[in-house]
Amino acid sequence: MTEPLSRRGFLKAAILAPLMPALLAACRRAEDARVVNFFNWSNYIGKDTLPEFTKRTGVAVRYDLFADEDEMFTKIRAGARGYDLIVVGDYLIPRFRSLNLIEAIPAGTLKNLANLAPRFRRPIYDPEETTVPYLWGTTGIAYNKKKIKNPPTSWRDLWDEKYKDRISMLDNVRDCISVAMQLLGIPQTTRDPEDFRKIRELLVKQKPLVKQYSSASYLNSLVAGEIDLAMTWSGDLFQTARENPDLDYVIPKEGTYMWVDCLAIMRGARHRADTLRLIDYLLEPSVAAGIANSVRYATPNLAASPEVDKALRDDPRVYPTRALMKQLQLHHVLDSEQSELWSQTWADVKVA
Amino acid sequence: MAVYCAALFGFLYLPLGVMCVFSFNDARRNVVWRGFTLKWYKALFHDAELMSAMLTSLELAATAAVIAAILGMLASYAMVKHKPFRARGAYDALLNVPLMMPEVALGVGILTFLVRAGYELDFTALACSHALICLPYTVAAVRARLISLQESSLEDAAMDLGATEWQAFVKVTLPLAMPAIISGALLSFTVSFQDFVTSFFVAGIGIVTMPIKIYSMMKFGVTPEINALSVCLLLATFLLIGLNAAFAVRPDEASRH
Amino acid sequence: MTQIDRALSWLLGGRKPAASHLLLAPASLWLIFLLVIPAGGLIILSFAKNGPYGAIVWEFGLHNYARAFDPKYLPVLLRTLGFAGATTVLCLVLGYPLAYFLTFRAGRWRNALLVGLMVPFWSSCLVAYYSWMIVLGKEGLINTALLRAGFLSAPIGFLYTPFAILLGLVYFYLPFTVLPLYASLEKMPRSVVEAAYDLGAGRWTAFLKITLPLSLPGVVAGCVLTFIPCLGDFLTVEILGGPRYYLLGNLISNQFMMAQDWPFGSALTSLLLAGLVGGLWLYQRWEKA
Repeated sequence: MTEPLSRRGFLKAAILAPLMPALLAACRRAEDARVVNFFNWSNYIGKDTLPEFTKRTGVAVRYDLFADEDEMFTKIRAGARGYDLIVVGDYLIPRFRSLNLIEAIPAGTLKNLANLAPRFRRPIYDPEETTVPYLWGTTGIAYNKKKIKNPPTSWRDLWDEKYKDRISMLDNVRDCISVAMQLLGIPQTTRDPEDFRKIRELLVKQKPLVKQYSSASYLNSLVAGEIDLAMTWSGDLFQTARENPDLDYVIPKEGTYMWVDCLAIMRGARHRADTLRLIDYLLEPSVAAGIANSVRYATPNLAASPEVDKALRDDPRVYPTRALMKQLQLHHVLDSEQSELWSQTWADVKVA
Repeated sequence: MAVYCAALFGFLYLPLGVMCVFSFNDARRNVVWRGFTLKWYKALFHDAELMSAMLTSLELAATAAVIAAILGMLASYAMVKHKPFRARGAYDALLNVPLMMPEVALGVGILTFLVRAGYELDFTALACSHALICLPYTVAAVRARLISLQESSLEDAAMDLGATEWQAFVKVTLPLAMPAIISGALLSFTVSFQDFVTSFFVAGIGIVTMPIKIYSMMKFGVTPEINALSVCLLLATFLLIGLNAAFAVRPDEASRH
Repeated sequence: MTQIDRALSWLLGGRKPAASHLLLAPASLWLIFLLVIPAGGLIILSFAKNGPYGAIVWEFGLHNYARAFDPKYLPVLLRTLGFAGATTVLCLVLGYPLAYFLTFRAGRWRNALLVGLMVPFWSSCLVAYYSWMIVLGKEGLINTALLRAGFLSAPIGFLYTPFAILLGLVYFYLPFTVLPLYASLEKMPRSVVEAAYDLGAGRWTAFLKITLPLSLPGVVAGCVLTFIPCLGDFLTVEILGGPRYYLLGNLISNQFMMAQDWPFGSALTSLLLAGLVGGLWLYQRWEKA
C-alpha cells in the first residue's frame, strides 16, 4: 500500500530530477574559462601540484580518473575525446601512435625538457620525443619479511611449491610474459611459436600456486596477510609499505625491466597552449620533486634530485645503484605481430 | 521468521558494520586495526572532490531511476494491459537485453555510437545510459505487479461502475502499482549508484562518480575516508526512513491492524 | 468527458496497435538509440578482423565465431552457468522468506526495511567486498576469533575460493531477487489465503497451493534479474575469486580491454546474447503451452 508522503516525494523528485543536470551543466559551463583536462590515475600527483599551477597561471586543471591502463586505453580507443593530457605507459605508446590517438609535442616547445636525465631522452619506445617521461619504476617482487624467512632472490621463487596459495602475479601481459622469457632465456624479440608454447607452459605450471592475478587489489591482500609474495611495481609497493613496514621489495637477480609513464597530448586537444604550459611546469625541478616525494616513484628529472627526500633518494630500491641501472632495460618495442603473440599467450594462460 | 530475517539483514549489514568500525581506524588502508581516530571524518568534509563525486552519483542515480520508472511503467502497461500486438514477444525479450549485455560490451558500444554520432559526452548521456541499464529492473518489478492486478480485475470493476480508462488508471491502477514502481525505482537507484563500468566509459570530461573515484583509488589504497562517507550516507538515509516511518500518517494503517 | 480524458483513455485502452506503440515509444527510443544501434555495431564488428595493434580490419568472415567454439572455452561456460545457477537458487531460497516477511509481517516498518535492504549497496561493491575480506581473511575476524578460541590451529583460507565467489554473488544479488518477489506478493489478495484456511488447509498447504503459484511472476522476475547479470559479472571474481575461477564475464571483458581484440569480444557477446534470447524465447513458448 502506498503512503501519501513517499508518493508525493517521488513525484516531486520526478519533476525536479530531470532539471538538475541542466542546472548543473550551466554551472559547469560558467567556470569553463581556461582549463586543461588531465586524465590520470588517482593520487598519481603531488597534493599541491595542480593548485599551485592554477595559482600561478590562472589555468584550472580538471583531473579525471582511471583505475586501470587497459580500461583507459579502451575508452580512448572507443573515441572518448576532450582530454588534453593523459598519462600513458611506455608500452602503450606505439599503440596510441599507430591508432593515431596522440599528438606529437613539437620539438623545442618545452624549455624544461633539458632537466631530464640523459637516459630518458630519446627512449626506444619514442625516439622522436613526442611524449615526456613523467615517473618511472621497476617490476620486482614484494614480500612480507615476517612471513617469509629467506627473502626471495629470483623470479624462480614465484614458482616455489612451498609458497602455494601465497603468491600473486600482476594481471598484465607485458610483465608476466617478460618474466617467463627471462626465466627461459628467450629474447623479447622472438616470434617463434615454439617459444610462446614454452612460455605458456611455464605460466600454466605456476597457476596452481597463484592465489590472485591482480594489478591493484593484491596490495590490499598483501597488507591483510592474505598473500606474502607478490610480483609488483616498485612505487605501488612503497606507498603500501607505509601501512605495513614488514613489506619489502627486491629486484630479482635475473634482473628486471624498467617502465616509464609518460605525459602525452591527446589528438584534437582543445587547450594545447595551456597543456604545453602544464607539461613544462611538471618538468620544473621542484615540482617534479614534489610529485616524486608524494607518490614514491622515481622521477626521470635529474635536476629535481637535490630536492627529492634524502631517504627516498638513497633508497636503492627506488633509485637502483649505478651497477644495476646499467643492467636495467626498457621493454623491447613490440611490433603488432609480436604484440598479438604476447596477448594471445597471456589470454590462453588465463583460460587454462 | 522474524529471527531469520534479522539474521539475513545481519548478513547484508555485516560488511557495513565493519566499514563503520574501520572508518575510525587510524590507518590508510582498512585492513588492520591501528587505533581510534576521527581524522577521516574531518578529511572527508574538506575533500571537495569526494563530496562532489558523491553528489554526482546521487543526482545520477535519482535521474536514472526516475527516467527508468516512467519508461518502465508505460512499457509494462502496454505489454500487460493492451491487446496482444504484433511482435510483443520480441519486444519483451528486447526489454531484457540490457541485462544480458556484458557491461564492458555495452559501455564500449554506447560510447562508440555516441562519438560516431557526434554527441559530446555529458551528464545527460550518462544518465540516459544508466536509465537503459535500469529499465529491465523497473519493467520486471512493475510487470509482475500488473499481472497480479490483472487477475484481481479491480480495474474492470471500476470501469463497470462507469469510470473511463483514464480515471480507472489514475484512481485504481496507478496507486495499486505504486509499491512496485517504487521498488523498481529503488532497484534502479541502486543499480545506477554502484555502476562502475558503464559510467567509466560513458562519463564525459569532468564527470567523476563515486564508483569511478573508488576504483581509481584501488591501486593506492581505498582510504577510510570512503568508509566515513558511506557511514554518513547510511545515517542520512536512516534518518529519512525513520522520519518517514514515524511521521507518515497512513490511511491504510488502520485497516491493517 | 473531456477531449483529454478521451484521448488518454484511448491510449490506455489499447484496443488499437497504434495506442500500444505510442505507449511503448519512449522506451523504444531508449532501446533503439542506446541498445539496438550500439549492439548492432558490435554484431557487425564481430564479423570483422583484428588488425595490427587492435585496429579493425573490415574483412568479413566467421573466423571469430569459429574461435569461440574452441573447446578450451567450454569449462569457462560450464563454470559460469554453475555459479550463476547456484547463486540464483540460493538467492531465491534465502530471499523468499524475507520477501514474505516484508509483505505480510513487517507492518509499518515495511518501507523502512525495503529501503534498508538496498542501502548496503549504495556505495561501490568494491568497498563491500573489501569489508568481506576483513571478515573472511586469514587474519580476519572469523579466523582470529576461531584461532583465539582454540577451535583452529591454522587459519582457513576462505578467500579466492568458490565459496568466496558464491558469497559475493549472493550478497550482491539477494536484493535483486527479493524486491521483485515483494512486488508481486504485496497486494496478493489475502482473502484468498484466508479462504484456504477456512476450508481447513494448513499453513504449508495454503502456501504451496495459493501463495507460491500466485507469486510465480515475481519468482520468474527475480530469477531473471539474478541469473542473467550473474553470467556477465566479472568484478566479483576479479576481487574475491582466484585465477582458477575464470568466468565468461572475465573472458569477454578481457577481450575488450586487456587483449584489445574487439571483434572476438563482440563475437562472444553476440553468442551470449543469442543464447539468452533463445533461452527466453523457449521459456515463453513453454509458458504458453
